[in-house]
Amino acid sequence: MTDIFLGLFSGMAFGFVIQRTGATDPDKMARAHLMIEPDIPRFMLMAVILSAAGLVGLTLAGTAHTTVLPVSILATGLAGILFGVGWGLCGYCPGTTWAAVGEGRMDAVFALAGGLAGTALFAHFHPVLIPLLYSPTNLGPVTLTDLLGGNPVAGLGLIIALFGGAIWGIGRLWEDPGHD
Amino acid sequence: MKPKSPYWNWLAAAFALAGIIIFVFSTLGPPASSSGFVSTLKGVLGAWLPRYTENNPHYAAIPGPGSWLFAFVLGMAAGGFVGGRTWNRPVKDVPEIWQSRFGSSRIKRYAAAFAGGFIILFASRLAGGCTLGLFISGSTQLALSGLYFGVLIFFFAMVTARLIYQRQPHKGGKQ
Repeated sequence: MTDIFLGLFSGMAFGFVIQRTGATDPDKMARAHLMIEPDIPRFMLMAVILSAAGLVGLTLAGTAHTTVLPVSILATGLAGILFGVGWGLCGYCPGTTWAAVGEGRMDAVFALAGGLAGTALFAHFHPVLIPLLYSPTNLGPVTLTDLLGGNPVAGLGLIIALFGGAIWGIGRLWEDPGHD
Repeated sequence: MKPKSPYWNWLAAAFALAGIIIFVFSTLGPPASSSGFVSTLKGVLGAWLPRYTENNPHYAAIPGPGSWLFAFVLGMAAGGFVGGRTWNRPVKDVPEIWQSRFGSSRIKRYAAAFAGGFIILFASRLAGGCTLGLFISGSTQLALSGLYFGVLIFFFAMVTARLIYQRQPHKGGKQ
């Protein structure tokens, strides 16, 4: 029961923050994809850097609950391409649809309904699709730490360098139309 | 002089979001959203077709609506509601940029939103997670799956947006 209240509380805080950054606004998201709105991608990437640093701290303190998802070259790759197309089309991702529905956006209600239909279809064909697309190229739950010889600090350093570089690049390449 | 943005500064907001993410990691597990869709369906379908959800491996792997995963997405809707009600700008059912490209037809926009939602969830369930559950949570754990997925979703969303909106310039907020 405690878990449910913690989940509800964290979800509320999460939904509020993404609303306040404009991530629930598909107009702002589309402009981020068109490289004329730099704040949303910088916000997402910076949140990862800070979370990764915090998680190293939690791990050292022994209080982290982690689950690393495996990487399948074919399934994760195909899913990434499809996801990008859907995200570019509607300007919502699964999490923002919930917050945007709460915010009162009617198109998000349709995105949520579409999401439930897409989930139902995938779940129905899971017994066929996972052995076909996922399992053959499944490399397991590999992390940068594994690739760097078991050093989590080196993995964190690489994430900071990669994501920090991307944030810098977005600041240079994305047009900043000022405030809207 | 630029007018003051109603949105939070991205850097400050990133600290706020990371604080929440770290809190979830320390108490529950990797935060996720697409799993909430599975939980919702498991609850709805399970009430009518319990044998189906019990025997389907996808529903068997994710807890139902009595879980923190479902509470989390429900909380997101509540947080979005509070955010929207304490906001000085009305929301639009048809985004401005969409309207300037495809007109103000609600049907057209709702159909595209439904199709987009369908695709992103189908894809998320194939990959095992979405922007939050796979890209953000995965990259936070330095997972290759999250980084690989992240590069692809950003790249293909940018390509798709260019094709859909035909790179038309859109200066924000001149409503």
